[in-house]
Amino acid sequence: MKDLYLFARIAGTAVALCVDEIEAVVRLKGLSRVPGVPDHVAGLSALRSRVLTVIDASALVTGRRHAGRDCPEAERYAVMCDRSGHSYGILVDGVDDIGTVAAAAMPVCGRIGAEWAPYARGVIEREGSPHFLLSAADLLDQGPVPQMT
Amino acid sequence: MDELLTEFVAETQESLEALTTVVVALEADPSDGALLDELFRFFHTVKGSCSFLNLPRFEKLSHAAEDVLSDIRAGDNAADAATISAVLAVMDRIAELCSAVEMGESLPDRDDEQLIQALRRSHEIARGGSREEAEAGIAVAEEVDVPGLHADPAPRMATTARTVRLPLTLIDQLMNGVSDMVLARNELARKLRAGDGDPETQAAFDRLSACIADMRDTISKTRMQRVDRLFMAIPRMVRDLGRDLGKVIDLVIEGGEVEMDREMVEMVVDPLTHLVRNSIDHGIETPEQRRAVGKAEAGSLRLSAYQSGSQIVIEVADDGRGIDLDAVVAKVVSTGLMSAKDVAGLSDQAKLDLIFTPGLSTAGAVTAVSGRGVGMDIVRANIERIGGVISLANDPGQGLTISMRVPLTLTIIPGLILNAGGLHFAIPRPAVIEILHDNNPAVAIMRLGGGLTATIRGIRYSMIDLESVIGLPVLEQGGPRTLVLVRSASGVPYILGVAQVDNHEELVVRPAAPMVMAAGIYAGMTLPDNGQPMLLLDAGGIAQVAQLPLIVEHVEPEISADDTEEEGPDTHYEGLRFVELTGEERIIRLSLVDRVEDIPIERCSGSGGCCRALVGDKLVRSVREIGPDMLSPGTRHVTCLRIRDGQHELCYPVRSVLDIDRVPVELAMVARQDLVAGLVLIDGREVEVIDSLALLARASGERPPEEDDRPVRCIIMDGEDPWNREILAPLLVEAGYPIQWGKEGHAIGPDDIVLLTGQDEEDDAAGTEAPVIRLRALSVPAGPDDASIYRYDREALLGAIAMVREERQRA
Repeated sequence: MKDLYLFARIAGTAVALCVDEIEAVVRLKGLSRVPGVPDHVAGLSALRSRVLTVIDASALVTGRRHAGRDCPEAERYAVMCDRSGHSYGILVDGVDDIGTVAAAAMPVCGRIGAEWAPYARGVIEREGSPHFLLSAADLLDQGPVPQMT
Repeated sequence: MDELLTEFVAETQESLEALTTVVVALEADPSDGALLDELFRFFHTVKGSCSFLNLPRFEKLSHAAEDVLSDIRAGDNAADAATISAVLAVMDRIAELCSAVEMGESLPDRDDEQLIQALRRSHEIARGGSREEAEAGIAVAEEVDVPGLHADPAPRMATTARTVRLPLTLIDQLMNGVSDMVLARNELARKLRAGDGDPETQAAFDRLSACIADMRDTISKTRMQRVDRLFMAIPRMVRDLGRDLGKVIDLVIEGGEVEMDREMVEMVVDPLTHLVRNSIDHGIETPEQRRAVGKAEAGSLRLSAYQSGSQIVIEVADDGRGIDLDAVVAKVVSTGLMSAKDVAGLSDQAKLDLIFTPGLSTAGAVTAVSGRGVGMDIVRANIERIGGVISLANDPGQGLTISMRVPLTLTIIPGLILNAGGLHFAIPRPAVIEILHDNNPAVAIMRLGGGLTATIRGIRYSMIDLESVIGLPVLEQGGPRTLVLVRSASGVPYILGVAQVDNHEELVVRPAAPMVMAAGIYAGMTLPDNGQPMLLLDAGGIAQVAQLPLIVEHVEPEISADDTEEEGPDTHYEGLRFVELTGEERIIRLSLVDRVEDIPIERCSGSGGCCRALVGDKLVRSVREIGPDMLSPGTRHVTCLRIRDGQHELCYPVRSVLDIDRVPVELAMVARQDLVAGLVLIDGREVEVIDSLALLARASGERPPEEDDRPVRCIIMDGEDPWNREILAPLLVEAGYPIQWGKEGHAIGPDDIVLLTGQDEEDDAAGTEAPVIRLRALSVPAGPDDASIYRYDREALLGAIAMVREERQRA
């Protein structure tokens, strides 16, 4: 069975997300900071009458902020997804393609960086180059988030 | 057919819910024929409907229950507890079947027959006592199944308003649509303001805007639901629990007619159930225990709901053993959550709040020891998640009252937009008590060891800058910073320092993402008019995150010298110019106005021509009657001037406050009517001036007459003066005071009041203990020490007499 994937880059690393989890890819206009929350919560952004909570995937995974996060002029793309009734935008370096991949995801091989270990669910090969298979749910639910009771 | 089935299931479920109350009430008073009829009708309807829907199991069950009930109805024997239990069991089974049909599943035909047998058996046992009636009952029971009784249920429905059933999701979609529409309107409004503003476009936009507002109100109403729904399952639960635990409980439910947002009702169901359960399980004692401590055997449990401003208050009050603070403290210490030293320093209220400590709940033993604490942290978390507040009033040995205050609706709230550290935040308007600038003379801010306190008009509050809570720098700014007096979760107010308050707006609030909520200081997010998403602050959460000690202290007011010195023989005073509810522009002496406050219209009540407003927890007399019809459309608040002269407090409803002006002491024209003293000229315009004394006399003078046990006699010293005879005397008589002429030689008692109109009578009055009121012919006082009253100042004169009288009553 062929699955449709979105191929993007997070912190310079090629990743793939299953399109079932994704609603759209949007260009962020404004980003309102949210103080007092973990650093990977980049802020809020309005999309028509919806408000996206923007997650800086780079900050979450590597601890380094997304390059364009704090400059309003930069072109910032976010992968929009819905998770338990909330709308999120996952900030990515850029989106390369959407396409199907014939082969199933392969297990992660080689000694990958510790920062990616919690998130990489497998490896997807597209046109000969490997991408980490990520799940949006992992990016939104995990991370250094103190859980509410 | 499918539609019919769905309809049947929905209707049956609805009736089942409504009936639980009936069953319990019937048990309390089994002789109540009306209740029996209601129950009977239900089974009858179910039986009737399912016979043509081909649902044999429903039919069998309802038939059996109907038989028994009709038997009870026909005979004189009352429904006993066992029979009612059996009937309930049948009802439960019908409910189970309903949900099974709804889900398209099949419920195993386990023991329907057993249930029916049990019902018959218990009924027969109950009937044993009255055999003769029983014979008659059987006869009736046999007749029940005649086809004629399969009447259509329609006549029963005829009395209710016509309704349609809508899926909830559809209403939610509508609501979301309207919310989006409001946002789009706001955006358009912004664009229009920025443009050059063609009046025709603006007019069209205003019309559209009004339509949207109307529509939003209407849609909001579809979301409202009576609190009844929340209480529906309680009687049954109380009954079952009471039976299981061997406790007798007298349940009282009040205020079911109050309406609140359906979503809120759903959010409150679980906490409420939990609290009621706790109350019965741990609060109310067994009848033996209650007898031993001299209480009535039946424990009282009172559930009430009422609206207070934009909040709904739901109270669960029992007269059980309350919370044993020592036991709670012991538990907290023994589980290692806090050290004994820390706990010892807590106030009783803080100790009480320990039952909300997470982790305390998991220690199962606490229930046996302290009485409460099971899952209270979760109850509180649930209530706070919807912007509510939970508070306890504990009376050890005598009972516990738990109040939940929750907002009326989650979606649209009036909010203030604040600025702090260069970012904008919103805060719900109901959480804000007062807003002041930090350079206000009534405010004193003190810093000690990094901590801040602010004293406002003699009350000391904890204070914290918002920037320090959210980790932003306090930016330099030109003007004064703003202090916002807000309510914390426990209701104790504290002061939040912000850069400034920017705006006031109706906000569409949405829940924020969990990682944002985890910060504990936000209540949700919103998209205001400016299109920049912002977060809604949670005043209670901020205090908790900042670990702000919440104490309010009354400080002895320092009498500042300049207050009295400034009142010299000045020709001008500061006056506050405002617009009356009725539209007139008037001026009031600024020194009389303590502050200006918005009071929700719900807090104003009137009776017998006397109107009062609930300010804080105090009833304050209002100068005028306030009715919702006097407000401009769309507003729910009335602006009130709070008048205070040290003894009396009044609330003066106005439409709006305009400005502060220098007002000449001397009136341009005396025109006394109601509260108006006359006219002054301000910038060449005539403005009416409020008569301060008459106003305050209104605060004191309108006492109920029965308090007036000693009539006050007015002694007019100069009986020869024509003005006294022709004008003053009739005025006093008309106002109900007996008069006497001073020159007639009667002794002046200490209960009298002496009225002087001329200098030469001073000697006659000398030596009397009675209070003296001096009248003068000039409108302007002779000097700063002149306490006399202008003789045409009717209100002032009567006010002065009333004050004397009141002082006496107090003494």
